[in-house]
Amino acid sequence: MTKFQETASSLSAENISVWFGERQVLQDVSLTFPANKVTALIGPSGCGKSTFLRTLNRMHELIPSAGLAGSVLLDGQDIYDPKMNAVDVRIKIGMVFQKPNPFPTMSIRENVISGLKLSGRKNANPDELVETSLRRASIWNEVKDRLNDQALSLSGGQQQRLCIARSLAMDPRVLLMDEPCSALDPGSTRRIEETIQELSESMTIVIVTHNMQQAQRVSDQTAFFLADDNVPGGVVEFGETEQVFNQPIDSRTNDYVNGHFG
Amino acid sequence: MSKTISRQPWANQSVAGNLDILIGSILPAAISVILAILTGMDFSLALLLIFLPLQLISVCTIAFKRQGARGIKDGLLILFVIFFSATVLVLLVSVLVSVVMQGSAAMSPHFIYQNNKYVSTTTSLEYGGVGHAILGTLIIVSMTTIAAVPLGIAMAVYLTQSNSKLTGVVRTVTQALSGLPSVVAGLFILSFMGFANFERSGFTGALALFPLMLPTVARVAEEALRLVPSDLRLAALALGAPNYRAFFQVILPAAKSGIITALLLGLARVVGETAPLILTINANNSTNLNPFSGGIATLPTFVYGFLGSLYDTSQARAWGAALVLLTLVGLLFGMARILGRAKKTSASKIKKAK
Repeated sequence: MTKFQETASSLSAENISVWFGERQVLQDVSLTFPANKVTALIGPSGCGKSTFLRTLNRMHELIPSAGLAGSVLLDGQDIYDPKMNAVDVRIKIGMVFQKPNPFPTMSIRENVISGLKLSGRKNANPDELVETSLRRASIWNEVKDRLNDQALSLSGGQQQRLCIARSLAMDPRVLLMDEPCSALDPGSTRRIEETIQELSESMTIVIVTHNMQQAQRVSDQTAFFLADDNVPGGVVEFGETEQVFNQPIDSRTNDYVNGHFG
Repeated sequence: MSKTISRQPWANQSVAGNLDILIGSILPAAISVILAILTGMDFSLALLLIFLPLQLISVCTIAFKRQGARGIKDGLLILFVIFFSATVLVLLVSVLVSVVMQGSAAMSPHFIYQNNKYVSTTTSLEYGGVGHAILGTLIIVSMTTIAAVPLGIAMAVYLTQSNSKLTGVVRTVTQALSGLPSVVAGLFILSFMGFANFERSGFTGALALFPLMLPTVARVAEEALRLVPSDLRLAALALGAPNYRAFFQVILPAAKSGIITALLLGLARVVGETAPLILTINANNSTNLNPFSGGIATLPTFVYGFLGSLYDTSQARAWGAALVLLTLVGLLFGMARILGRAKKTSASKIKKAK
């Protein structure tokens, strides 16, 4: 089997503020993501969770009007340092999107190893990498006989797991997931949640979710984001998942996790 | 075999149950044909003056009987759509048929490969052909294509992938340029030739076609690239792809069929151009494979040259060349479509490579 480095990295965001043009959408967010922990970001729509997630692997800067203050440290090194290359950052910090987005012109197999080609890296044994990655995303058994089929022939849930496998093939140290289950049925959701549990043994995971139960099931720690009219989003509460859901300190967190608003 | 239930119950309409529709469809046609024959009226006139009103009445009556006022609107829409599409189709087919009919008189193997060196306007059709013009067309059009297609695609990439404020200006200029009358493009190159002391040659002809092909390719390719979901680009970048790899390995393959359409429309724009070439090349009658000096003919200039003459043989030659041009365009389009077809073989290629 292909050797994965089995070392996760810690990630920490310090005083992140984000603007789109003149409009500030995040104010002073500081969160730490210890190695091998799963962190859930929860909060109502439009509170800046996804935007925050995108600042963690420099996808945020692809939006023309984007602005940013603060720093993101990957193992103590600022990823926004002028010496750092956005491409290298994204290789280390993988991302899974809300909607499954496999490459339509490629087969299942080609999709899994597309990251290698796209980042210009070589792998001595791509077949093994394909199998390992698909196994880790728990989709191997479903696709092992049709690796050369078009990726779009898979169901939505399978496509999303293929996208996870595609990220895993790059052997990231941190995996960011932006509502990975929002378009999926309960069965696929359960499988992806199991996958997250297994993956946390070898990487750090940050997951944005609208599903409280999911946050409780998969995460070790939880951050609750909130924004208001004319007030940029920020973290209201951050702590162990157990504590955030059962003994929230802030009354707004209590209202949100118990479904009183949002 | 047991009796199975129809898989398309909505398609299960017997004629017997729809007698009114059958009568309503045949009656107007029958009446107009009979009337036209009896009165000696021109058929196309009868089509418009008798058949169309009768068919309108019959459609409205049946539709009203079946579905009330709503049915009339539906029926009218369907009738007009069918009538006008049929009109366009008839026009198109009649162009094709007339070219084939008139062009086939000149057709023979030697017409395809011989040149016109010793042919005058009255020479019989047993001698001479369009071989030199086919070669000339291929040479000039491929020179234009080699320059215009990569540049057009590059422009489309710039227009879709760049955040620069200049894109608006470039897009407007491209659109304006695509409306450029071809004779103006020819004049422009002609004045440039005087300025730069260029002799008339295939190259100057290709230059004159270039400003016609470029905006067409750029605009269609831009549309094709715009249709690729931005998700795919983000997915590629999130995997650590530099912009150029994301473009070449993900965006471009996804837009492939649209890009081929851009190429085809660009070809269609220039392959039949006559005016700019008349100004910029010497349409001669002998074969010339050197695009940088000497006279060179293309199929459209051949047609133009011989159609002006009143002799039957010249007219036949012109129609023959038009038929060859149509066939050539058809072949090019067919080839491009086959090459561009989404292939499932990319996966098997990997297998072979192992």
